[in-house]
Amino acid sequence: MSMNHDNATAQNQLISSDIHQSIGLLTRQLHNALNGLGLIEKVQDLAGEIPDAQSRLSYIARLTGEAAEKVLNRVDQAKAQNEYIAEEANRLGVLIVQDPVAAVAKGQVMNFLLEVKKSNQIIDGHLIEIMMAQDFHDLTGQVIAKVVDLAATIEEQLIQLLIQTAPMESNQKETTAHQVQVPYKPHLSGPVIIHEGNADVVSGQSEVDDLLASMGF
Amino acid sequence: MANELRFLVVDDFSTMRRIVRSLLKESGYADVEEAEDGVIALKKLRSSTFDFVVCDINMPNMNGFELLNEVKKDEKLKHIPILMVTAEARKEDILLAAKSGAAGYIVKPFTKVTLDEKISLILTKLGLK
Repeated sequence: MSMNHDNATAQNQLISSDIHQSIGLLTRQLHNALNGLGLIEKVQDLAGEIPDAQSRLSYIARLTGEAAEKVLNRVDQAKAQNEYIAEEANRLGVLIVQDPVAAVAKGQVMNFLLEVKKSNQIIDGHLIEIMMAQDFHDLTGQVIAKVVDLAATIEEQLIQLLIQTAPMESNQKETTAHQVQVPYKPHLSGPVIIHEGNADVVSGQSEVDDLLASMGF
Repeated sequence: MANELRFLVVDDFSTMRRIVRSLLKESGYADVEEAEDGVIALKKLRSSTFDFVVCDINMPNMNGFELLNEVKKDEKLKHIPILMVTAEARKEDILLAAKSGAAGYIVKPFTKVTLDEKISLILTKLGLK
């Protein structure tokens, strides 16, 4: 029993060692292939873009979270305003039933109408803010497009690597199949994810206005 | 007079077009058309009459800078003020827009107050308000 166990352990160690050696060999081959094909720099560039993609995804999560919170807060406030007006309407209804003339004479009806007008403006303000909160769709959409573009570029480079390192016969077939794939490359940078330490971008409308004013526009 | 002005809102995101349209309506500008990129906007500008353009920059087919250049070199269209409303926050883009003839520049996300202020300022400069 113990001898069998020892044999199995030795065999497992042998397999582990083989796997380790194989991975080492593959890594070396991949490194040499990349080096030989001049792809090391491209792969390094792509690896450098991955933290940027992470920042972009964090930006999307932050923006959608903020928008959801803003909408829910505004809905709560609008509902509270609505409830207040409903309570005031009930209260005025009771007063009118008790003494309609007094309700008008004491200005209770007029006060209520003024309260309704005021509430209407407040609720309208909340509705506008709820609408404005939906602008995250535009901003996150642009950022998502950039992440998708990065993924497409990585895929393209990996396919290229696969083609160039494949045996000659399959290389020719694959090249024909993938030659037409040109990843979409937007020239504009889109929303700024990190403003801190970036002197080339503005962080808000006041900086836009200051910049234009300083240039005489 | 200002409330009778005809606006063209150019943005590839329908949500943003809808937001700007609603804000304009809220400010009393009810005559608003939409276009989803520069190509469609240019067609609409050449086939109809507009007084004001609110334009995104990052769009497919023809971006906001290209549309701005096309409008400014067209004798019949160059008088139309173009207000850029965009997520592009690079200083060089802002200055390029100004040098190319944009009437104003708003960075997203923006507020209703900012949009109202910029439109009002442009209309006042042009004597339309």
